[in-house]
Amino acid sequence: MPKTDRAIELTDYERQDFSVCLGCKICASVCTVNDLDLSTNPQEMLQKLFLGKDVAADDPLVRFCTGCYRCTGACPWEIRIPDVVRALRQVHATESPFEKAFKGSVAIWGRVYEPYVLMRAAPFLLKGGYIKHMMRWMEYMGIHLPHKVKRT
Amino acid sequence: MEYGYYPGCSLTGSAHKLDKGIKKVFAKQGHTLKEIPDWNCCGAFEYGDRKELAGFSKKNLEKARGHFSEIVAPCPACYKNLREADEKREFAVTHPLDLFDEAFFAAMKQGKDLKGQVFTPYYGCILLRPKETAIRNNTVMEETIARFGGDVAGESIKDRCCGGNQIFINKSVTEKLSRLILDKSRGTVVVFCPLCHMAMKTFSGERKVVYYTDLLLYIMGENSAL
Ligand code: SF4
Ligand code: SF4
Ligand code: SF4
Ligand code: SF4
Repeated sequence: MPKTDRAIELTDYERQDFSVCLGCKICASVCTVNDLDLSTNPQEMLQKLFLGKDVAADDPLVRFCTGCYRCTGACPWEIRIPDVVRALRQVHATESPFEKAFKGSVAIWGRVYEPYVLMRAAPFLLKGGYIKHMMRWMEYMGIHLPHKVKRT
Repeated sequence: MEYGYYPGCSLTGSAHKLDKGIKKVFAKQGHTLKEIPDWNCCGAFEYGDRKELAGFSKKNLEKARGHFSEIVAPCPACYKNLREADEKREFAVTHPLDLFDEAFFAAMKQGKDLKGQVFTPYYGCILLRPKETAIRNNTVMEETIARFGGDVAGESIKDRCCGGNQIFINKSVTEKLSRLILDKSRGTVVVFCPLCHMAMKTFSGERKVVYYTDLLLYIMGENSAL
């Protein structure tokens, strides 16, 4: 099965659902990714999915969509484009080290235990130049012990 | 009144200030927040599989069943996930911003006003979109600021995206988007979302970034809250 079809399966949509898209590009006109000096058009992505074509992992929308739902809010059909983007990220397995650590914590404790996430993502944070923000983040620090959620 | 409370992971960690603020504000009004027993993470936006994501919040609703009918969830991501998982509308899943209504302010004891201070209320995304899960009153922060004599600024950016979601993925994205917002804001930036707080705080320089609950506590007379 092509990756795009697997992605659609992860959403609440079926491929035919995208046929309602009017091609009006209102989504593109409000898309936050276009504030980043990148040019992107969610409508094109939906069209590719509808036609069964692949959407690449390095497509700017797949990489940089912030999940702001501005597109959904403006679309006449309220198509939930960020849900589709998240599904594409999952099938492309392009999660960042931070996201991996997040899921790792949820798998162990049932919750996000931030010190664990920071530790696991530490090499990435060091390389990514996050250390310089630490002073500003002091107010977020606080020590508490992890609480393991019972599996019911 | 007693509400079921879903703090979520961030309020038990980096957003501990929001957690304390909410609890204090509710306690001052005679309401209690009781945690859903043994709640689990709602999955935020990290899971591409909609069923898997909804599963986390469905489990939380199961844990609340029989204990509560109304659930308060302050983190916008948690709030949205819980509401979406409650397909049959079995619970009233409420964002605290929708509880700060006329009755709340009528019952509130005022200690201070905001005269001479400028604020930019910043809602970000998830409190306002998608429509099905948006809060009912999308001008509640402006109304509060004006009610107590403060000046409201930055109307044009209140619903823009700060890119908080990308802060640990592509930091430059968050930096660019947050700066666009900060440039068009004035005075103290007032937020509700923990991730917005972090995005704003990281790039705000000398500008002050506070939670809406800090603003309420200040009005209630707590000098150090702002
Ligand atoms: S949710 Fe993603 S695709 Fe939609 S407007 Fe925001 S950034 Fe663009
Ligand atoms: S706004 Fe909706 S209908 Fe218009 S192009 Fe975008 S997805 Fe299609
Ligand atoms: S927003 Fe995030 S980190 Fe927080 S409880 Fe919901 S999922 Fe867990
Ligand atoms: S962090 Fe900012 S951009 Fe993200 S969900 Fe909260 S409001 Fe939206």
